[in-house]
Amino acid sequence: MGAVSPLDEEQLVRLIACGDRAAFDELYRRTSPWLAVRLRRRCGDDELVAEVMQETYLAVWRAAEAFAGASVGGSAVGWVWTIAARRLVDALRRRARDARVPPVALPPEQVVPAAEDEALRATVGDEMGEALRRLAPELRQVLQAMVLDGLTVRETAVLLGVPEGTVKTRARRARIALREALS
Amino acid sequence: MRDDRAGDRSGVHVPAELLDRYAVGAAGIAADALWAVEAHLESCAPCRDRLGEAVHRRSPATVVVLERVRVGLDAAVARSGRMPARRRRLPGQAVRWAAPALLPRLAMTILVVLVALGLDLADQMTEGRLPSLVLLLAPVAPLLGVTAAWSRGLDPAHELVTASPRAGLALVLRRTLAVLAVVIPVLAAAGLLAGASPARWLLPCLAFTIGALALGEVIGLHRAARGLALLWAAVVVAPSLVAAEPPVLLEPASLPGWAALTIAVAIALVVRRDAYTVLASGR
Repeated sequence: MGAVSPLDEEQLVRLIACGDRAAFDELYRRTSPWLAVRLRRRCGDDELVAEVMQETYLAVWRAAEAFAGASVGGSAVGWVWTIAARRLVDALRRRARDARVPPVALPPEQVVPAAEDEALRATVGDEMGEALRRLAPELRQVLQAMVLDGLTVRETAVLLGVPEGTVKTRARRARIALREALS
Repeated sequence: MRDDRAGDRSGVHVPAELLDRYAVGAAGIAADALWAVEAHLESCAPCRDRLGEAVHRRSPATVVVLERVRVGLDAAVARSGRMPARRRRLPGQAVRWAAPALLPRLAMTILVVLVALGLDLADQMTEGRLPSLVLLLAPVAPLLGVTAAWSRGLDPAHELVTASPRAGLALVLRRTLAVLAVVIPVLAAAGLLAGASPARWLLPCLAFTIGALALGEVIGLHRAARGLALLWAAVVVAPSLVAAEPPVLLEPASLPGWAALTIAVAIALVVRRDAYTVLASGR
């Protein structure tokens, strides 16, 4: 579990806002593996991931003052993810514009229930978990981008490389499917 | 399942094996588990630490990315310095009144006026035969500041300013007013000490300022101001210094002429006001 430093991430960001380089390094040490893994699960191109991460942490360094805790429920980590998600979408958009190459998305996850799932039943809830698992992969991707990553329809479209209309349709279908599964 | 309650409300942490699979980006994690892991990691510092360890153990590709970012970040942070806290900038309101390059120019103008004042005082103490330099400089003193009001070279946002709805004569006049608001009190104070009453130079000063703006609509503000200042220096300042007597043009008798000129150039300025919405005029 590692030694838990007495400062939490929110306090670190506040120190960074005062120009504390050591706090910045500490925040990077603590959050960068998590951010890298999460980004790499959304974008198969490591070069792009590195670019997005650099932009994100540079933005954190420069804009730490703007971290208005209230807007993301007070979580500094959530704030970092919000920045990273936006930067990822921007980078994909830039790349699509420059090269006209569709963004490299990971293939949709296969639905293979694992033993560990049992352990997480308590967190997600049985019915919700079942419903999610049964959802078609492309619908789940849309839900993940919009619900978990907090992206807009337009940003989701860029991230997944599909038209906005498709994103809206899939979101509606996913909503209907979940509602049916839960009722 | 861990039962360590630090950092997470549910008290349930991500199992090690699942965390490993998540860290290497493995497919095949069921959707609900994946969601739970991601949501949990966002709120649980200990699990993020464990994920970091898992990454270093299992995922060399991610470690390569992390190293690259850290190196690039070091350089970028060193280069950029701190932006928000340290950088002072004019508040939005001030930008409408003052062009970015205004302050140095105003400082320079004030310095020149002070030097002229010093020479005047020195001259008064010795022989007192030269005309007041403050008086001679006063009509053209605002020009240095005025040129900054509409300048492609001095305003880094000149293209943006030109394209903004506020662009045009109103903005130029506003910035000119800001210049005058500083320069005229300084001139008045210096004139008081040097014996150059504002009555003698205020109208010429306005005439030159407005004249430069009007002429600037035709040939560019910089050229206009430079031309007028040179003209004034050659035709009035130099001869009166050589002849050692105050110029006729700054005697009270010539004030009606200055008033007429001021009105004339003001009309010219308004008639051609659209020139200050065109990019090319900012020379």
